Amino acid sequence: MSDLFRTIRRNAPRYVPLLLMLAIFVLLISGCTTDTPQNTFAPEGEVARKQRDLFYLAMWPAIGVMILVLGGIVLMCLRFRERDPNSRPPKQIEGNTRLELTWTIAPAILLLIVGVPMVAMIWDLGRSPDANAYVIDVDAQRYSFSFSYPDIKDPSGQPLFLPAEPHIPTGRQVAFRLHSADVIHSFWIPRLGGKLDVVPNEDNVLWLVADKPDTFHGECAEYCGLDHATMKMIVHADSPEDFQKWVDEQQAQLNATPKPTPVRSATPAATPSPVAASASPAPTPTATPQATGG
Amino acid sequence: MATIAAPRTSPLAESLRNARQAAEHNPILSWFATVDHKRIGVLYGVSAFIFFCIGGCEALLMRAQLAGPNANVLTNDEFNRLFTMHGTTMVFLVVMPLSNAFFNLMVPLMIGSRDVAFPRLNAFSYWTFIAGALFLNASFFTRNIFSGDLGAPDGGWFGYAPLNLRAYTPGHGMDFWMLGIQILGIASLAGGFNFIVTILNMRAPGMTLFRMPVFIWMTLVTSFLIIFAMPVIAVALFELTFDRLFGANFFNPAAGANPLLWQHMFWLFGHPEVYILILPAFGIVSEILPVFARKPLFGYPFVVFSGIAIGFMSWGVWVHHMYTTGLGTVANSAFGISTILIAVPTGVKIFNWMGTLWGGSIRFKAPMMFAIGTVAMFTIGGLSGVLHSMVPSDYQQQDTYFVVAHFHYVLFGGAIFALFAGIYYWFPKFTGKFLNERLGHINFWLMLIGFNLTFFPMHISGLLGMPRRIYTYPSDYGWNLWNLLSSIGAFTIALSVLIFIINFLWSIRKGKPASADPWDGRTLEWTIPSPPPHYNFAEIPIVHSRDDFWHRKYQEDAQGNVVPVLAGAAHAPTLSGGDGHGADHDDHGGHGIHLPSPSFMPLIAALGFPFIATGLIYDYALVPVGVTLLVVGFYGWALEPAAEEEA
Repeated sequence: MSDLFRTIRRNAPRYVPLLLMLAIFVLLISGCTTDTPQNTFAPEGEVARKQRDLFYLAMWPAIGVMILVLGGIVLMCLRFRERDPNSRPPKQIEGNTRLELTWTIAPAILLLIVGVPMVAMIWDLGRSPDANAYVIDVDAQRYSFSFSYPDIKDPSGQPLFLPAEPHIPTGRQVAFRLHSADVIHSFWIPRLGGKLDVVPNEDNVLWLVADKPDTFHGECAEYCGLDHATMKMIVHADSPEDFQKWVDEQQAQLNATPKPTPVRSATPAATPSPVAASASPAPTPTATPQATGG
Repeated sequence: MATIAAPRTSPLAESLRNARQAAEHNPILSWFATVDHKRIGVLYGVSAFIFFCIGGCEALLMRAQLAGPNANVLTNDEFNRLFTMHGTTMVFLVVMPLSNAFFNLMVPLMIGSRDVAFPRLNAFSYWTFIAGALFLNASFFTRNIFSGDLGAPDGGWFGYAPLNLRAYTPGHGMDFWMLGIQILGIASLAGGFNFIVTILNMRAPGMTLFRMPVFIWMTLVTSFLIIFAMPVIAVALFELTFDRLFGANFFNPAAGANPLLWQHMFWLFGHPEVYILILPAFGIVSEILPVFARKPLFGYPFVVFSGIAIGFMSWGVWVHHMYTTGLGTVANSAFGISTILIAVPTGVKIFNWMGTLWGGSIRFKAPMMFAIGTVAMFTIGGLSGVLHSMVPSDYQQQDTYFVVAHFHYVLFGGAIFALFAGIYYWFPKFTGKFLNERLGHINFWLMLIGFNLTFFPMHISGLLGMPRRIYTYPSDYGWNLWNLLSSIGAFTIALSVLIFIINFLWSIRKGKPASADPWDGRTLEWTIPSPPPHYNFAEIPIVHSRDDFWHRKYQEDAQGNVVPVLAGAAHAPTLSGGDGHGADHDDHGGHGIHLPSPSFMPLIAALGFPFIATGLIYDYALVPVGVTLLVVGFYGWALEPAAEEEA
């Protein structure tokens, strides 16, 4: 017993990284529960929740394997260290085919098993949005997201345009149709779901669901130039009733004061002009959506 | 002088020969004309290490900026240029050339050859590399660096279209980037072909493919990956060059282009590139673990075949860099499965390395510490890679710090740790001295702790929703602590590298002397003196088995115990100096061994590239100058004698 104790004390430095990692893991677990604005462990919608669950499904076995392998390495280092520098070399073992086949085939089978729910979820989340999904057009330009509502039109037929801070209804799919006016961006609201790139000439559609009324933070996740870091957005999720109220207000406003020509047309992807965009940095509408507050 | 074969020598040829001979004995000039694989290896290694320090300083600046929220150490512009250069530098100017240094230093010694197949092509590869590297870094000075206006590229090391077009990155930075990488690609290709031919044709008699050291196998696989992957990026870069310089529309969405074309080409190169960076490290680890565990590598065929399997599979996983581009469910499913499966051969290697340790008699010297560190850290990086392969959850992690954590565990914890292991392991061979062991251990532990402190918290900041490539972040997103830890860790790594530099400079002068076979090695390089004579092997060895040198030193007695072979017994004399003291008693001193003579032509030819590239950016008048240098270099190269008779 005291021998073991001595071994541990003598080899204490070797445990340092292990202990360090354990400490960090404890913090990691504590990190899972924090309520920070973009925490992917704190989902508030169907898509984000499924993605987090799949992540856990892979993360816990991975942590298990990690502890086994790292622990195994540390134990082997302790057990098989050379005690006498003049000792003869140990038995020369060239390998063991059966053992090696096992650790080739077993991980392959395990990984393929994990692959089944993964593929299922790719198809589940990759399906087209429901017919009753609420559609919002997202225009990404350096360095802001702006939003158009095809269901809310002014008397001349132009959709409602918001330079920032869109509202979405809870409890139903919201289909974001993504259009880029210049380079590739990525549309990401972490607590509602994973990201989808906004690619010029490719109008990707991302659907998300918000469970309950809240304010969500999102940002551009694909490097897009100088101020990529501040290309952020805030999304307000309202209960269906509140959302309807908001829609009615917007509609009334549009009907009362028909705006002069809106900044962006309904089909903005039709005329992206990189040359124009390069001359002046992004046509910034009235308000800058630099949501830095919490 | 050559009296027989010296009819009609023109004055020019005469003076060129005089210059070559003068260079051979000049301590400085000889480095510019050398075609000796060992000296080119040293050049590669030292240059790559200098760029490692430069790239590291770029990282430290970024970590200083990100240590706290809303910091003002760097501007957005500076930060963007620094992360672009950090990535480009670490991939193309550090890990690739540092691996190449080991190919150069070790391949001929480990296969029992006197040089590589094409020594002057080898020199050309180095000088082209250094030309491309300096050209790329010259971009910093295209604006006034002293006033803080960095002119470096600002489109990311991945240079995504259409951000890489002149409309969005208007300065000259991205021009330097695309032309610089193009030049570096030529250097890599020259090296790749050279090592394939060397390994396939110049092995010592008896060294069949399956008696080759694993490092040689991994060099071979890496070289094949290089010659197939570099042309892909070359095509992409040529298209980009036409877009940026001549107004073509390969990647211009306004003209109807699909910008994802760039991503497909970049990652079709980029994923094999990842294995170009890591397979040499696997080779180094596979050499070091058996020597210090004093056991053969566990399951040699599995390790070799898994390396080959990785080489093939690396061509079928590139879309995992593009899961979030909207390629659709079929593509994402197919590439998700292929990405999961590439973990299998990688796992095989890790298990076999553990099998090598099992039952060993492990000596914890500095090279072994770094090698074990590699296995452990790469395991973590490999596992987070499996997490990334899970497509739907990767939608959350893509382009976050979780990815940054993952690939630093692979490329720093894997490649850089292994390359340090290689430096500690082979330093005695090339200097005849050991690196200081105590400083080596301090170097290792500081680096291990600093590394984990830097990159482990990035897993967490990534999962807390922190995207990559942002120069600042707000204070209330829960990222502050993790970023502070990362920054402290980064400076810890810097301290460990500083200790390494001190160790290196001290040991090269006053290090403990090392014998020809200081580690009780298993492979051919330990049969010759340290440092090796310029002709490497006085007599080309004949190889009888895998780990040939070991079997000359040890045999099994009737009980199956391993006992040393008595001096002078058994079949020792087949190797020159089979007793481990090398060829020094074999004293023809290399006379009569014909080695290629030094040449300035590779340097002259390589100098042409930066002229052409600078000319394309600033003034076409420079292009003919560069072309002339190329032509003169190649022409002289073709005409000068490969080996001169001795004066």
